Amino acid sequence: MLRNVIGGIRALVRRNERNAEIQEELCSFQEASVEEKIRRGMSREAALRAARAEAGSAESVRQRVWAAGWESAADSLWQDLRYAVRMLAKSPGFTAVAVLMLALGIGANAAIFSVINAVLLRPLQYPDPGQLVNVSEAKPKAGVSGVGASWPAFVELRDHSHMFNSVAGLAFHALTLTGHGEPADVSTIAVTPDFFSLLGTKPLLGRALSPADGERGAAPVVVISENLWRSRFAADPGIAGTSIALDQRAYIVVGVMPAGFQTPFFSQTDQVWIPLVQDPLFSAWTTRPPQAHWLPVIARLRSGISPDQARAKLETISAGLASQFPAEEGWQVAIEPLQQTIVGDVKAPLLLLWCAVGFLLLIACANIANLLLTRATSRSKEIAVRIALGANKRRIARQLLTESAILGLLGGATGVFLAWWSVSALASLLPAELTQLHSIRVDGSVAGFALVLSMAASLVFGLAPVLHATRPDPQANLREGSRAGDARGSQRVRSFLAAAEVALAMVLLIGAGLLMRSFARLLSVTPGFETENMVKAEISLPRFQYSRPEQWTAFSNELMTRLQAEPGLQDSAIAAPLPILDNSVNLPFAIAGNPPQPQGATDTADYIAASPGYFRVMGIPLIRGRLFSEDDSASTPPVAVISKTLARRYFTHENPLGRHLIFGFPPHGDVPREIVGVVADIHDVSLAKSPGPMMYVPFAQVPFWGGEVVVRSRLSETAVAAAIRTETHNIDKDLPVTDIESFPDAVHASVAEPRFRTMLLGLFSAIALSLAAIGIFGVVSFSVSRRTREIGVRMALGATPGSVRLLVIGESVKLVLFGLAAGIPVALMLTHFLSALLFAITPTDPLTFIGVALLMMLVALAAAYLPARRAMRVDPMVALRCE
Amino acid sequence: MAGENRDMVQGTLEMLVLKTLALEPMHGYGIALRIEQISNGVFRVNPGSLLPALSRMERTGRIKAEWRATENNRRAKYYALTERGRKSLQEERRQWGRQIAAINRILEA
Repeated sequence: MLRNVIGGIRALVRRNERNAEIQEELCSFQEASVEEKIRRGMSREAALRAARAEAGSAESVRQRVWAAGWESAADSLWQDLRYAVRMLAKSPGFTAVAVLMLALGIGANAAIFSVINAVLLRPLQYPDPGQLVNVSEAKPKAGVSGVGASWPAFVELRDHSHMFNSVAGLAFHALTLTGHGEPADVSTIAVTPDFFSLLGTKPLLGRALSPADGERGAAPVVVISENLWRSRFAADPGIAGTSIALDQRAYIVVGVMPAGFQTPFFSQTDQVWIPLVQDPLFSAWTTRPPQAHWLPVIARLRSGISPDQARAKLETISAGLASQFPAEEGWQVAIEPLQQTIVGDVKAPLLLLWCAVGFLLLIACANIANLLLTRATSRSKEIAVRIALGANKRRIARQLLTESAILGLLGGATGVFLAWWSVSALASLLPAELTQLHSIRVDGSVAGFALVLSMAASLVFGLAPVLHATRPDPQANLREGSRAGDARGSQRVRSFLAAAEVALAMVLLIGAGLLMRSFARLLSVTPGFETENMVKAEISLPRFQYSRPEQWTAFSNELMTRLQAEPGLQDSAIAAPLPILDNSVNLPFAIAGNPPQPQGATDTADYIAASPGYFRVMGIPLIRGRLFSEDDSASTPPVAVISKTLARRYFTHENPLGRHLIFGFPPHGDVPREIVGVVADIHDVSLAKSPGPMMYVPFAQVPFWGGEVVVRSRLSETAVAAAIRTETHNIDKDLPVTDIESFPDAVHASVAEPRFRTMLLGLFSAIALSLAAIGIFGVVSFSVSRRTREIGVRMALGATPGSVRLLVIGESVKLVLFGLAAGIPVALMLTHFLSALLFAITPTDPLTFIGVALLMMLVALAAAYLPARRAMRVDPMVALRCE
Repeated sequence: MAGENRDMVQGTLEMLVLKTLALEPMHGYGIALRIEQISNGVFRVNPGSLLPALSRMERTGRIKAEWRATENNRRAKYYALTERGRKSLQEERRQWGRQIAAINRILEA
């Protein structure tokens, strides 16, 4: 072994000596052979010839002896590398273009892969993430799925199911933190005590919640996040045991969770966790059994129990719950892997983008293959000569592949750099609810992915010139070399590649076009309310100081009076929740006087509590009846305003005014409210979801501990915010005014996810289009230079420049037509995967298809422009003489 | 390299060379001639396969080489078996015998 290595190195170092030795041995072998033959009676000449014929080419014997040791492989690799680098350096333009194209392809792939890796592939950052599941409830008959669990269902799962190691509920909202600087809303996660042990994360400091903290009547405690601890409490190491005020009630800090600990479904990083029983809002929901499905629940399966096994058991549990609580009839408890729940809606767009960048890379490969082919044609003479001189094809193929591999590595490295540079921008475009956003980065696995990809790519595009150079008939190459390459075959391959690029680019463009048109339609949706000059702010009242509904009404009345008096503010109102900007609240209702609904077929409508000015401020027109007035108060009979859709759907042939709807926020779900007015429809959930039935109640009759203030004003957003803040603090200096946003911005933000995918796919398809254009340009312009002579002859025979131009443009148009012929069916097959992402547009939208086809034709014309001009300028005399 | 040695059972060349060298040190052509003569001309070894094989075996230490004058007063590279080569030859003969016996059994079964 060692001898082998040393011998190899010696041969490499003293290459000439070793070669001379082989040469000499071969000579002596030949001489001995000749002598032997003469001794047997041959003439010297005949003996010489016979010996030579037996031995074959001396050079190839020398090569084979040399090749017997490992050093020859290393040596030829080194040779290939040096040669490849020299060749690439000799044509820096080609190298730069090829590397750049590949870098775009690899970079886009690496960037998207880094997102996919973080979001879809990498397991959640908890111990044994495979055992974590999300628990939700669904009522298939009513088309409801994925809502939280009811409290009784949670208790049943936690105490009696025997499938889970632990089960925890977690509900989100914001509480007001006072006493350490400006009053602020902190994101609060009200959890059952098992939450931390379930996820298996140890606190940085102090302790997490213990079961005793979850007992009713225990002292209120809080766990805070490391980020909050650092920003708000100066990383005080003695914070455990001190008390902080949330909603102006004292909580004792027991621990600090490390910054790396993420609460599922929750991407913010400065939050607090309190026991659910200590929550001013949610604790009340756990005592009575309202059949509200409000509690997000996560659970850890016992080891050895698979989600499928658990699902079978859940049916029994659902049936048991339904027999215990008849109103639960039809509800089912469902589980799915937690990762799946968290990833949710982004999976489809991410996979779509992954496909798109895959296409992009293919296009880049086809382009580079074309460039390499063009080069191979001009180098075919060199290669043919080498083959004729005895170089074996394998060696030449290896050398050409080495060249592509170097291109691949350069492109891959540049691509990884591009990805690294763009990935933070990419992450900022993703919806903020993704908990894994913080872990999106270009790491080893992304770099490895890019490396594998660039090697695969270089094999793909490197194959074309290899096949061209090593085809069975080297004479063809020799002949071609002499006539500037009449490579009909390779011209066909080039045309095929360019047409394939067009087809791929076309598919991408159609996808992007569909998304763009769908997005434009989404933006052109009129939400049903005004957005111009509208600003909103959220005010929440601490529930311990403001514990009685009368206080909430008094506060909102006082604030409205003060805001109306502000000179710059035209109009203002208070409501909860706001359409599109807030999560909608959907409540069941019944119509008084109608026969009771069958079990499990409840009607629901979206619910908004609004002050009298709300419809006026929002610009929602009244259709019949009246709006709320200042006279509707807690002491007058309950009233409601309904939307046009509700009126049309449930009061088809009758006048809804004067009828009563029975609905309300739990626990007041059974209050009959007289319908006094009907207003126009609005988009309550999102722009994409068409308006559904809605019901409004006067804020004064169903007050809330705060709400959203909406103000119409021509003043700037900051001026309006300042006015709201001043007036609020004039009433109570400890109230936080948060989430100040202008309506246009908020609506803009509500379509962040579709914008993300539309922009990215648009960007990728633009790159694809330019690559395809370069591809067409390359093929056509190479063909023009190849046909210079032919064009010269044509012109000499009387062809006009116009007809020559047509000839060239025709070639380009033909490429695009082939591309379209292949691309359109593929697009038709693929776009239906898009349908879930499209709004108000079919995946076969003819306008998009036609538009893209026209665009491709334009590109064909543009790409042919320069070559056509060159062809028209061919001087027949020069062209005929030049060869 | 494939097909360079069609007239000889794959992998036997090195064994035959070792066996030839077991008698006395020899130069390349001598080895080729001896193999051809003893096999009654069945095996013809050309330098294109012999010299690479010799180089390989030298590298693995089964034979050693030195430049010497031939009987005709020319310089030639003489190869001789090393101790390792001797062991290797025994081993290969044993293997070969086993394989031949096995093949025979199969053919006569």
